[in-house]
Amino acid sequence: MATFRLHGTRVLAVELSGDAVKAKNGAMVAYDGEMTFKKMTGGGEGLRGLVTRRITGEAMAVMEVKGRGTCYFADRATEINLVRLTGEKLYVEASNLLATEPALRTGTTFTGLRGASQGNGLFTTTVEGTGQAAIMSDGPAIVLRVTAQTPLIVDPGAYVAHTGNLRQQLQTAVGWRTLIGEGSGESFQIRFEGEGLVYVQPSERTTVGGQL
Amino acid sequence: MPFTRINSKMVEAPVTPGQRMFSQRGAMLAYRGRVTFTPSITGGQGGVMSMIGRRVANEATPLMVVEGEGSVMFGHGGHHIHTVDLAGETLYVEADRLLAFDGSLRQGTMFMGSQGGVMGVLRGQVTGQGLFTTTLQGKGSVAVMAHGGVFELPVTPARPVHVDPQAYVAHRGELRNKLVTAIGWREMVGRGSGEAFQLELSGQGTVYVQASEERL
Repeated sequence: MATFRLHGTRVLAVELSGDAVKAKNGAMVAYDGEMTFKKMTGGGEGLRGLVTRRITGEAMAVMEVKGRGTCYFADRATEINLVRLTGEKLYVEASNLLATEPALRTGTTFTGLRGASQGNGLFTTTVEGTGQAAIMSDGPAIVLRVTAQTPLIVDPGAYVAHTGNLRQQLQTAVGWRTLIGEGSGESFQIRFEGEGLVYVQPSERTTVGGQL
Repeated sequence: MPFTRINSKMVEAPVTPGQRMFSQRGAMLAYRGRVTFTPSITGGQGGVMSMIGRRVANEATPLMVVEGEGSVMFGHGGHHIHTVDLAGETLYVEADRLLAFDGSLRQGTMFMGSQGGVMGVLRGQVTGQGLFTTTLQGKGSVAVMAHGGVFELPVTPARPVHVDPQAYVAHRGELRNKLVTAIGWREMVGRGSGEAFQLELSGQGTVYVQASEERL
């Protein structure tokens, strides 16, 4: 059974004993023991998965790491957060997903206009099943709880991932100031309603909305 | 003269009369007391011959000599700093990763191509590190820069470690390093896993790895 362990805040150590994990392509920094790296063609979800990813552009380059020993993963010195899933679904941007346990299934969902405003395209990656996933954030991420009474509004550029039963909706605050180039830089926000958790990073990606 | 960590990106070192220190030029952030910074024309220790050696080997990072009485704070480019204390062994590190080191350490240049023949030469090309590396030997402290923090991995004869060449920072001890390739038909058709080249370190020692695959 693969075990995920954080080595500091920016390095993920995965103990393998003959099994395999899925990880972002090229994210290995060191290992001991015996490991083989194989780029996954079609993501292991069959032909349908391959076609979907091709069309949606949510083409996360994934490799399968298999072997015995300890493998260390890190990516551009970003902070790593471990998320334990027990049957629920994790929505995460493909670029923020570092590694998943083999028992987890990954897929793609349509996000609509929100995705476009985040600069991530119209689709997002979902991780489903029971096990651990490692997600990356630029700076230490905070986890914010959303309840039915307290909806949460997040900057699209700072959004990393979410779990639970959440409805999301893009809201705009575009006024005449934005049109003359005097916007506050907060013209687009994502509103989360329902029950769940949202991961937010202390940094903002360059997004279309962020410029306005 | 050990370095004191101020935070992950800044170190402080005491300077006492008669004890020189070398640091990368421009890496001083602040100092207390009377300290002078002299550009080192020979780029370190060992006179003109070793200067020429370093120039030829392209390991000549501009250094300065830090002398006087007080304490100096070092940092550079917002990179994470890792300090290594040496007690007689040798540290192998790229010259441009060196932030500061004690004058008591002997500086040298080593031809890496001598380890492993053709693969040794290729190793330098693949990692972008060139054919030469800087060695520091003796008793003292070294401050090394890395992108995104450093972690240490022990290497024992029974437990060799493989490192991504871009994430390799430095190593110490009696280690042999060898470039291993895992190139198959997948790489040829452009479907590589991004891990085609790895450095295999075997022997007895410690390897320093950074949490990023970006060069400085």
